[in-house]
Amino acid sequence: MNTSNPAIEINHLTYAYSKADAVQDLSLSVARGKCYGLFGRNGAGKTTTMKCLLNLLRPRAGRVRVFGLDPNQREVEVKRKLAYVPDAVAFYPWMTVRETLDYLASFRAHWNRDIERDLLHRFRLNAAQKTGALSKGQKTQVALTAAICPEPELLLLDEPTSGLDPIVRREFIETVIGAYQESDPGNRTIFVSTHLITEFEGLIDEFTVMDAGRAVLTLGADQARERYQKIRARFANPAPTVEFKGAMHTRRDGRELELIANGEGPQIVEQLKLLAPESLTSEALTLEEVFVATLK
Amino acid sequence: MTVGDVMMLQVNFKSGKPVYLQVVDQIKSAAASGALQSGESLPSIRPLAEELRVNRNTIAKAYAELESQGVIETLPGKGCFLKANHSPLKKDARRKMLIEEIDQAIVAAHHLQVPRGEFVDLVRERFDLLEEKQRAYDHAKSE
Repeated sequence: MNTSNPAIEINHLTYAYSKADAVQDLSLSVARGKCYGLFGRNGAGKTTTMKCLLNLLRPRAGRVRVFGLDPNQREVEVKRKLAYVPDAVAFYPWMTVRETLDYLASFRAHWNRDIERDLLHRFRLNAAQKTGALSKGQKTQVALTAAICPEPELLLLDEPTSGLDPIVRREFIETVIGAYQESDPGNRTIFVSTHLITEFEGLIDEFTVMDAGRAVLTLGADQARERYQKIRARFANPAPTVEFKGAMHTRRDGRELELIANGEGPQIVEQLKLLAPESLTSEALTLEEVFVATLK
Repeated sequence: MTVGDVMMLQVNFKSGKPVYLQVVDQIKSAAASGALQSGESLPSIRPLAEELRVNRNTIAKAYAELESQGVIETLPGKGCFLKANHSPLKKDARRKMLIEEIDQAIVAAHHLQVPRGEFVDLVRERFDLLEEKQRAYDHAKSE
């Protein structure tokens, strides 16, 4: 098999449930070994995109490839290479955590017991507990453990942290991703969809923002933070009503001016300096702020 | 005591500087101040990535950059270590790199209206501070 194929390749994907397109002409490519974020509000088309990768939905137009393979033609091969954690996980409630993991392991050719032990320990999960008695966060932890133990080449996470409390969210996502990427990091790819971007801030290498089924922005995380800046200036008198070229958003509040710059931050800062503000600061937008600014 | 305890790396997503470069610069300043001494090992990638809440690719990229700059070396199976005499570059080349940085600082000083004398005093002050830190670490080592 050609090992230079990207982990995921989506070309002009379109899918419609009824008349309205859920995904419209979406193209993106995820290189192996990367952590790729698919950001969008609820209903933006993230889950539909995931389901097309899993052959749970058939594209109306365009094509998807996973490691160069068509999920429709080569479903078994594709599924052997990946693990998927949906946004709502369900287990047989009468099984214990131990039985659930053994049951899921029975479908896999490979299962890393060391990773399983490590994660059960870190999450303080009781293997003897029935899954029906687990909290939502604990169920997600079991699902993530089960996704990582087979050491798949691709991990698809659909809103893995939605509905969880903030402490749990912050705690486990980097633990899971750290454990997953520990061995053979060059061949451990993560494709994660979320609208809770802050907790993935440091983990994302590259991302696509989706809105109403379309990709509106695709960028590397570092480039995004370099390109998008929030510039604040305070003046002695009411803030001047000047046009700033390259400002995506401008907010005036009395003597204060706040601008969001897209790539032209330095020019805007120079322009502001000429207006002799009392103070002038600029900082990078976080990925969540980039997301919000893009959709405004 | 592990290196991670002393170095206290942190990343700031709002600085606009690529995260891996933040890690590179912080390890270089830890090496300059003596917080990290030659022959000492750097934290391994996974715990550091988890602590900083960043992708391991970011840490791996930072370590690769430090290695190409000759600051650290990787011993297979043992991890990354700070090199003793860490620049592989000739003196001329090292001076040239420093001059570029100094020029940038001078330009910044001009725009921030910090005059020449004050700038030079500041440089002296910062050197003193660094040497003080080095002495503190040496002292802590000898105890």
